[in-house]
Amino acid sequence: MKKLVELKNISKEFDGELVLDNINLDIMDKEFVTLLGPSGCGKTTTLRIIGGFVTPDEGDVIFDGERINDLPPYKRQVNTVFQKYALFPHLNVFENVAFGLRLKKLPEKEINERVMNMLKTVALSGFERKNVTLLSGGQQQRVAIARALINEPRVLLLDEPLGALDLKLRKDMQNELKNIQKQTGITFIYVTHDQEEALSMSDIVVVMADGKIQQIGTPTDIYNEPVNAFVADFIGESNIVDGVMLEDKRVRFSGHTFDCLDGGFGKNEPVDVVVRPEDVDVVSEDKGMLKGVVTAITFKGVHYEIIVDIGGFKWMIQSTDYVDIDAKIGLYIEPDAIHIMKKSEYSGQFGDYSSFSEEFDELDVVPDEDGEEDADE
Amino acid sequence: MNKKSLMRSLPVIPNLVWGIIFIVLPLVFVLYYAFTDFDGNFTFANIIGLSDYAQTFLLSVSMSVIATVICVLVAYPMAYFISKAGPQKGKILLFLVLIPMWINLLIRTYSMMAILDDEGFLNSILTALHMGTVRIVGTKGAVIFGIVYDFFPYMVLPIYTVMSKLDKSLIEASSDLGCSKIQTLFRVILPLTKSGIISGVTMVFVPSISTFYISQKLGGGTFDLIGDTIERQFSNPTTYNIGAAISLVMMVLILLSLFIMNKFAGDDTDEAKGGMMP
Ligand SMILES: Nc1ncnc2c1ncn2[C@@H]1O[C@H](COP(=O)(O)OP(=O)(O)OP(=O)(O)O)[C@@H](O)[C@H]1O
Ligand SMILES: [Mg+2]
Repeated sequence: MKKLVELKNISKEFDGELVLDNINLDIMDKEFVTLLGPSGCGKTTTLRIIGGFVTPDEGDVIFDGERINDLPPYKRQVNTVFQKYALFPHLNVFENVAFGLRLKKLPEKEINERVMNMLKTVALSGFERKNVTLLSGGQQQRVAIARALINEPRVLLLDEPLGALDLKLRKDMQNELKNIQKQTGITFIYVTHDQEEALSMSDIVVVMADGKIQQIGTPTDIYNEPVNAFVADFIGESNIVDGVMLEDKRVRFSGHTFDCLDGGFGKNEPVDVVVRPEDVDVVSEDKGMLKGVVTAITFKGVHYEIIVDIGGFKWMIQSTDYVDIDAKIGLYIEPDAIHIMKKSEYSGQFGDYSSFSEEFDELDVVPDEDGEEDADE
Repeated sequence: MNKKSLMRSLPVIPNLVWGIIFIVLPLVFVLYYAFTDFDGNFTFANIIGLSDYAQTFLLSVSMSVIATVICVLVAYPMAYFISKAGPQKGKILLFLVLIPMWINLLIRTYSMMAILDDEGFLNSILTALHMGTVRIVGTKGAVIFGIVYDFFPYMVLPIYTVMSKLDKSLIEASSDLGCSKIQTLFRVILPLTKSGIISGVTMVFVPSISTFYISQKLGGGTFDLIGDTIERQFSNPTTYNIGAAISLVMMVLILLSLFIMNKFAGDDTDEAKGGMMP
């Protein structure tokens, strides 16, 4: 496989704020690459740099071996499906899709054939004469995809194209997009902040946070071997605890020494330890490596989600067995369920299940503050 | 039930009264005068007699058309740049363009004469530089310039309003799909701002066609426009009927041209129609 798009040491500031910080990314031909990260982390900006709508302050954008920093969008072999579709309201569905072909001055007959075929691909046959502003969100989104794809670009950029759709339509469109990508062999660079979407569709996932790339890898790599606490927390559910690497394949955390499979750390090096909730077995208290008290249990259909307090740190465990609240239970963890990460700037920020979100933390805090104020008065 | 519907129509009554007094009645008067002679007898003579004014009509229309076209050509790029200047700078620029609107038309026209007159400001500078003098006041060019100057803000404002609402991502999409800047202008920006141009044209063309100060002052009295003619008819009670006939024909012509423009400009956006018909 050959490199199609390369970003080399890309940095970008907006109003004195560093939005992209030394981005390095190689994208191979025919790959489905997803940029994944929380809102404001710079995904759209990265995409717009590849599309040519934003010029980086530093670094090079290489396309097929050539530097294209200064090439305007209309000269790039790249098309975009915009975050809000950006369909032309003065043109009907047919003319929106035909837009790129008309510019190439193709014969009318060919334009007609190709547009009709493309509309069939996106399941919009019969909508040719419709006014685009009257279409549903899902239909508009498919027009946007058709309008971009018909130009047979080398790279298709998609900025949260499914963001506005309901869950069911979204799943259907995910499959549809994946099929189109396989059939056409066009390189897709896809932006989302939905980790499930990223894992299920992509060949390669690029996890971003704070304008930096945190990790690049296949979905399984990213899930099984997150490089730091941010990635472990952002992708799926994780318990992330402080640990010490005693020696290769032996780690101590939560007051117990575990066998594990990782090595290559310094002796007694402090590390972050990740244990996925589904990899923990619930056993009786005396057989457990760790012991704790159940503080909450929620039925989730396939399994129960159990919150266990172990020495003040709340673990999340998924189990098919029911346990009572306030029950004392033991936890058993296999060596291959333990993943060790180097300490990073994100250590200690994630992976504790005292609450599920920061908003919840804040909600929790409010009555306290009120109470204090009342006391003061 | 009748009472209810009466209650509901109550708020409409002031509008209705206004409409009757200021729109319907004047129209009735115009019609009455246009089709009667001095003694109040029905006649077509006024309308038939208008062929004498064909020249004046033509001159007025052609000068208004030229002035309107110049307004569009200058105002469109200006509105584009103002809308691109960002909200802060854009507001200031728009303000500068609109300031002349607040100054009385008569004063503006007089001050223009002070500048352009044979012994005016411009010519005294030219004389001081030993470059001779140019005769401006009294030419058709001066009148056209006067119309453009006086009505220009009315062209910028509606175009700017539509332009500033234009979704920037459409311009990016157009560029993404292969349009150069020029192609984007003709394929996306122009079609989407057409309604602004049409409003602007209506607001400049219609009043400018019946203007009379500008032609009297800057035209130096050397030629008559239709507005001057109408004014003259109404300053003499014996010619009210002819004045009314000219007004009527003008009104019909303007309505007709707006209607044609409406059709011609395409009817794909409903918005476009809003600003067109008076
Ligand atoms: N044109 C701009 N001018 C100023 N700041 C900008 C501009 N574009 C983006 N930013 C800022 O850059 C940061 C990254 O924005 P970006 O749109 O790339 O985020 P994102 O990852 O796509 O987020 P989201 O998931 O919310 O779409 C944000 O803080 C944003 O406010
Ligand atoms: Mg974005």
